[in-house]
Amino acid sequence: MSNLGFQQFPEYQVPGVQQADFSPYESNGGSIVAIAGDDFVVIAADTRLSSGYNIHSRDQSKLFKLSDQTVLGSTGCWADTLSLTGLLKVRMQGYEHTHLRTMATDAVAQMLSITMYNRRFFPYYVSNILAGIDKDGKGVVYSYDPIGHCERAFYRAGGTAGTLLQPVLDNQIGHKNINLSSSELPKLTIERAVAIASDTFISAAERDIYTGDSVLINIITKDGIEEKKLQLRLD
Amino acid sequence: MLNNYNGLAQPFWQNGPAPGQFYHFTGGQQQIQNLPRELTTAGPYGTQRNTARITTGSSVLGIRFDGGVMIAADTMVSYGSLSRYQSIDRVFKINEKILLGGGDDFADIQSIKRTIDQKMIADQCRADEIEMKPTELAMWLTRVLYNRRTRMNPLFIDVVVGGVNAEGKPFLGNVDLRGRFYEDFVVATGFARHLAIPLVRESKPAGREFTAEEASNLIRKCMEVLYYRDTRNTSKYTVGVCTPSGSVVEGPYKVDENWSFASTIKGY
Amino acid sequence: MSTIGTGYDLSASQFSPDGRVFQIDYASKAVEKSGTVIGLRGKDCVILAVEKIISSKLHEEDAAGRIFTIEKNIGMAIAGLVADGNYVADIARQEAANFRQQFEHAIPLKHLCERVAGYIHAYTLYSAVRPFGLSVIFASWDEVEGPQLYKIEPSGSSFGYYACASGKAKQQAKTEMEKLKPNMETEELVKSAGEIIYKVHDDLKDKDFRFEMGLVGRDTNGLHRINPAEYTEIARNAGDAARKDDDSDNETH
Repeated sequence: MSNLGFQQFPEYQVPGVQQADFSPYESNGGSIVAIAGDDFVVIAADTRLSSGYNIHSRDQSKLFKLSDQTVLGSTGCWADTLSLTGLLKVRMQGYEHTHLRTMATDAVAQMLSITMYNRRFFPYYVSNILAGIDKDGKGVVYSYDPIGHCERAFYRAGGTAGTLLQPVLDNQIGHKNINLSSSELPKLTIERAVAIASDTFISAAERDIYTGDSVLINIITKDGIEEKKLQLRLD
Repeated sequence: MLNNYNGLAQPFWQNGPAPGQFYHFTGGQQQIQNLPRELTTAGPYGTQRNTARITTGSSVLGIRFDGGVMIAADTMVSYGSLSRYQSIDRVFKINEKILLGGGDDFADIQSIKRTIDQKMIADQCRADEIEMKPTELAMWLTRVLYNRRTRMNPLFIDVVVGGVNAEGKPFLGNVDLRGRFYEDFVVATGFARHLAIPLVRESKPAGREFTAEEASNLIRKCMEVLYYRDTRNTSKYTVGVCTPSGSVVEGPYKVDENWSFASTIKGY
Repeated sequence: MSTIGTGYDLSASQFSPDGRVFQIDYASKAVEKSGTVIGLRGKDCVILAVEKIISSKLHEEDAAGRIFTIEKNIGMAIAGLVADGNYVADIARQEAANFRQQFEHAIPLKHLCERVAGYIHAYTLYSAVRPFGLSVIFASWDEVEGPQLYKIEPSGSSFGYYACASGKAKQQAKTEMEKLKPNMETEELVKSAGEIIYKVHDDLKDKDFRFEMGLVGRDTNGLHRINPAEYTEIARNAGDAARKDDDSDNETH
């Protein structure tokens, strides 16, 4: 102890003292794809929970139903995902009790952004994609970076295979680099959205070791949420 | 339980005295002046903390079966590479509905176990015949561990929580030092994560749970494999079994070791 | 009390000229008004039993319980103000938790009793506080110390007992207890407890009461249990039978 009353740290490594650096973060893998249509939105996530070469669980849903109209897909550091979604659920319940109605998708999107930015200097290490039906009954997708930047979109891929899948969606959903007139382009139906989401995951499971086992697909319409499950490769 | 003397108690009325504010009689009346160190602000140079594990346990293996769960761990607690303590139970009965298997730093396991035991006594004091359920304990652990990791002062533990829930439904989950939590029919810590999980997954019958007999055979097999292959293992292990009729920790059992092949290994 | 109103009863921090602290006497009054509570020590068990007088039919049947669990193997029963009892029970739990934290085993009853008695005594020393209107009985059993029974008075004085009583029918209960033989087995002890509480209950002054008990001993695996169904049944039946006996005795005379 110095006379200032606090401990002075040596500026050099003390011999014999073991330093084990603790990292508060861990990547637990997983991918999410969300595609919005005129009156529906499809969101899908794989069910593999891993760290490094260990697969902890082959059956861990990464889709969180926040309301009948809103589903959040969250991957990255699983401990952060659990804390963040737990906090969201508490806040949404608070909203429901004070305002006597369920939070709209847009409101959830804004709240999620703020909640994440609150931890700007010790971020939730998560890749979030929020899918839902907005006030006008249209399908909508919001995507986030770990510190709460929020962007509204129609389709988005995230997670460990996000960079792998986004160009596929750009092409197939966004019709980028396709030389067809708009009348010749295929219409985005629920079936087509589900088919493309499924295919992207089958492809991701081929190349990304952190994505696989199975994929859970949620189809959100004004009538509610339909759930589907598709087997992926297990290796 | 009333909790009036923790210094954080709400005042009786606006700007009024908090319970126990005026007098400090004998007993638990002292206000807590010093918050736990991890809750106080850092000094001008930050705070230095011990970030190393000292005495560690290796594998814990948990398997869920149709009527409950089984959790097994060998009795070794190592000091680095030294086999320091060779007969320490690492599977604990928390109450009639919860088992806990502790891996990683054993001091931290003992510390969290003390806190949990006190929670169980508080449970009993309520005298409502309601026991804590494994899901509740696991969720509580995630909050404790996540908060500690967020303060960069983690508890170096990796625990398997198992038991039966209110409707007698088996529960098996894992919580690690960062507050990561997941449920599965097989969970493990330490070397069992590499060696035992694949063995158990491989023998999982499709479309149904294991039976108790299958689960106990698997545990026996896995503890044997772990003993042969993990250097931080002993041949002794304890097994906790939890079913709707209660929980027990049995053993220690001995791995059925066989070294007759050793003489055939030549040429090294 | 003839000395009422002499001006020495306003504070617990002042003696009267004849050496009394009236606030403590008044606290004892609160205890004497309360339903009877007894503690009995048997061979490998201790029982706490209370005559819980039902002040309103609108209460739930388990309302205002006067028996508490303090530690795994420690029970506490009170005569006096129930609100004070809740508070002291919590102090006792803190003491027990604190002891366990430091020494990693349950607090010895002698020690717990000393601590709580000290606490209650502290409330008889200052002008700004009032003493607890409580008589507290502690019961415990463990393999090493066997059955133990202690009682603390509102003054903070405490003693160990083979059997003890507080409340309305304290005297009557003591007379009954002196007749008992020592080292009884659990079932016999439970019966005796039931009989005493039912016998000393005064039908004329208090119409309705509920028999409640706490039991700790080898037969409860060293755990303190409140109103365990099997034993409570035995005690209530024994009590009912004893009371009928009493009534018929009165008729023949």
